[in-house]
Amino acid sequence: MILYPAIDIRGGQAVRLLQGDYARETVFDADPVDAARRWAGDGAEFLHVVDLDGAKAGASQNLDAVRWIAAAVDCPIQVGGGLRDAESVAAVLEAGAERVVIGTAALRDPEFLDEVLAEHGERVVVSVDARDGKVALAGWTEAGEEGVVETVAELSSRGVARFLCTAIEVDGTMEGPALGELSRIAAATAGRVIASGGVGSLSDLKALAREAAPNVEGVIVGRALYEHRFTVAEGKEALTVRDC
Amino acid sequence: MTTRIAILDYGMGNLRSVEKALEHIGATAEITNDADAVRTADGVILPGVGAFPKAMSRVRELGLDELIGERREAGVPILGICLGLQLLFDSTTELGGAAGLGLLGGEVSDLDADGLKVPHIGWSPVRWEKESRLADGIETETPFYFVHSFAPRPEAGDLLGSAAYGARFACAAERDNVFGVQFHPEKSSAAGLRLLSNFTRICASVPA
Repeated sequence: MILYPAIDIRGGQAVRLLQGDYARETVFDADPVDAARRWAGDGAEFLHVVDLDGAKAGASQNLDAVRWIAAAVDCPIQVGGGLRDAESVAAVLEAGAERVVIGTAALRDPEFLDEVLAEHGERVVVSVDARDGKVALAGWTEAGEEGVVETVAELSSRGVARFLCTAIEVDGTMEGPALGELSRIAAATAGRVIASGGVGSLSDLKALAREAAPNVEGVIVGRALYEHRFTVAEGKEALTVRDC
Repeated sequence: MTTRIAILDYGMGNLRSVEKALEHIGATAEITNDADAVRTADGVILPGVGAFPKAMSRVRELGLDELIGERREAGVPILGICLGLQLLFDSTTELGGAAGLGLLGGEVSDLDADGLKVPHIGWSPVRWEKESRLADGIETETPFYFVHSFAPRPEAGDLLGSAAYGARFACAAERDNVFGVQFHPEKSSAAGLRLLSNFTRICASVPA
């Protein structure tokens, strides 16, 4: 399983939010490139970059930061936040992202989804964010009515090969990932799933590696790394699948 | 009344995913190492991930070896999963060797993958080598999910299924009401749930 350190950018800085709430922000790095270098230097295989300003505005706001991060590290990065048309997706890939993460737009605009899937295929990750089993939209500021499991199944049948699933209730809390919800989501698709939200300790990662379905290919870790609960290297070791 | 399955907890298991899978198929699952709880269950699952010798010493420390033997004598169905399957055999060569529970005949040794990368991680088709209640309704060559570096060499009479990774290896075994699978049914989608459901049905069919 791959550990994806998260770099969330707001106002040009690397920050963490609690449960997606823009009012509960902690700044960790004045320059997100420092965070990227630190995680990559510690052995990260992939970075997860979120343009929080973009997610709120509905259009990329930190494209330069993405460009600097992509140039600063050797490992690939995936980038999301505010990607709601084909041009912004192309711009982020152009800026050096290996994958794009699209959320709201994939759910609201089927034509856009079809277009980016046709154009970029497996480089497209669809982010499905859940609150109480329902899909949350627009930078998590709107609550939805659609069930998460049904949504993932439907998107999967439309050709989405990789999902990012965030459990909002536990995101930023470090109280452990929502394993039950994750297993329902993983069972709803033949595609790959990246889990996000709630990781606070190495034992959370070990539980994921042990219990998660085979198609759960990775996990996003944010606050726990910034607060030095464990290092990227220790996290990778905890995620190594134990065989018999 | 639903069928009650005890999932033996000796600190080295993929317990929750097994529990969830059992609940999904309508069985009552209990993660436990309490003798009374195990004695009242209709069936016993021995899960496990990790190294055989360490697991076996944990099992002994908790007295689960005697408890498993006692349940087997009582005719209660037992299913070993992954390392749990390996523990049911006579012995292993892993880490200098160790004795197992001896409920299935044969030895566990390194997977002979003929040069392929070990551990073997992924989906492989399972070929049923004989008819079994455990395989009921699951076609031969149905893929199951594996994560392992060792495999059992069952006595001919105990061999239930095989798979190929580099070379062919035994991946399922059965003797009377003792069953074992090297793959992870709890991570093997619909076919895995069917196998667990078959096991639950076997448990329900044994008179208490």
